[in-house]
Amino acid sequence: MRQARPYSAMFAGGVSARTGPHALPLARIKKIMKRSAGDSSVVDGGGGGGGGARMISGEAPVVFSKACELFIAELTRRAWAATLEGKRRTVHKEDVAAAVQNTDLFDFLVDVVTADLGDDHTDYK
Amino acid sequence: MEAGYPGTAANGAAADGNGGAQQAAAAPAIREQDRLMPIANVIRIMRRVLPAHAKISDDAKETIQECVSEYISFITGEANERCQREQRKTITAEDVLWAMSRLGFDDYVEPLGVYLHRYREFEGESRGVGVGVGAARGDHHHGHVGGMLKSRAQGSMVTHHDMQMHAAMYGGGAVPPPPHPPPHHHAFHQLMPPHHGQYAPPYDMYGGEHGMAAYYGGMYAPGSGGDGSGSSGSGGAGTPQTVNFEHQHPFGYK
Repeated sequence: MRQARPYSAMFAGGVSARTGPHALPLARIKKIMKRSAGDSSVVDGGGGGGGGARMISGEAPVVFSKACELFIAELTRRAWAATLEGKRRTVHKEDVAAAVQNTDLFDFLVDVVTADLGDDHTDYK
Repeated sequence: MEAGYPGTAANGAAADGNGGAQQAAAAPAIREQDRLMPIANVIRIMRRVLPAHAKISDDAKETIQECVSEYISFITGEANERCQREQRKTITAEDVLWAMSRLGFDDYVEPLGVYLHRYREFEGESRGVGVGVGAARGDHHHGHVGGMLKSRAQGSMVTHHDMQMHAAMYGGGAVPPPPHPPPHHHAFHQLMPPHHGQYAPPYDMYGGEHGMAAYYGGMYAPGSGGDGSGSSGSGGAGTPQTVNFEHQHPFGYK
């Protein structure tokens, strides 16, 4: 029974029932990838009509499923550090923005996290 | 080359629950919920790395959702450019790993390589023993039937290997499982709404509580220490944290 509980949690949590063995749905990842690759009309695995068509291997979304877990975890940890600096226990959007500003690796997210920050007091420079 | 995942597509569609996110002007035709990861999955991953008493505001959840989509687009764009230079039409898993390394996510490449390797093994096994595993699932998990045979087989395989994973964790001299955190009704309250009655409340609460316990156990036993190679912007602490993820690997069998 000591083993059954964590094991049951894995199943009852809905991970296997909802997205199979991956924490994030592969179909959704593939849709986002297709938009970035510049072609959303080609069926995966089907015959590509034009030379410019971009297809996505079935394994690429699998890699992203795990990569996004690592990414969300790292971004969340850094946001929590910013929350602690503010002596708070609730992670806010501003904490995510601070985490992005303080991490060179996340430079590509600056526009995302500052899009709706209109208040002057949240300007991290 | 593998075809798409129709079963997963169905599951993905069923998982739609997002709302209120602003739509990108560049892609007006794309449905809003198709542009972001499902918020329930994102929240679950966030809670794994936060202490039990931490709370997450709705605006933070939405911001993380946006960041994940941007991350996928960022990496995919780089992988796509490589395919164009080499005149290839298919973005492969290797292209994705290459792009991550090039864009500074070096720490991710090794655990993802291990993950991909085990996924390929898993796919091979799944095809060979699909029928048997399906039957096994029927025997042990009443009330979870439904979906296509492949989905059921996958679920059963995951269940089977999850058991092995936990057995390996205990047998390998890992720290004993941590005491279960006291119930946090607020946390349950946040976890419940995304399900919208798809599962009975007892399952959700039970899964949420013990899920946290399972992941915390992995977190508090990082094992190897020392400094790893620092990628641009990320600190040395990334290395032990990476080890944690391997401990939590869904395909923990050897």
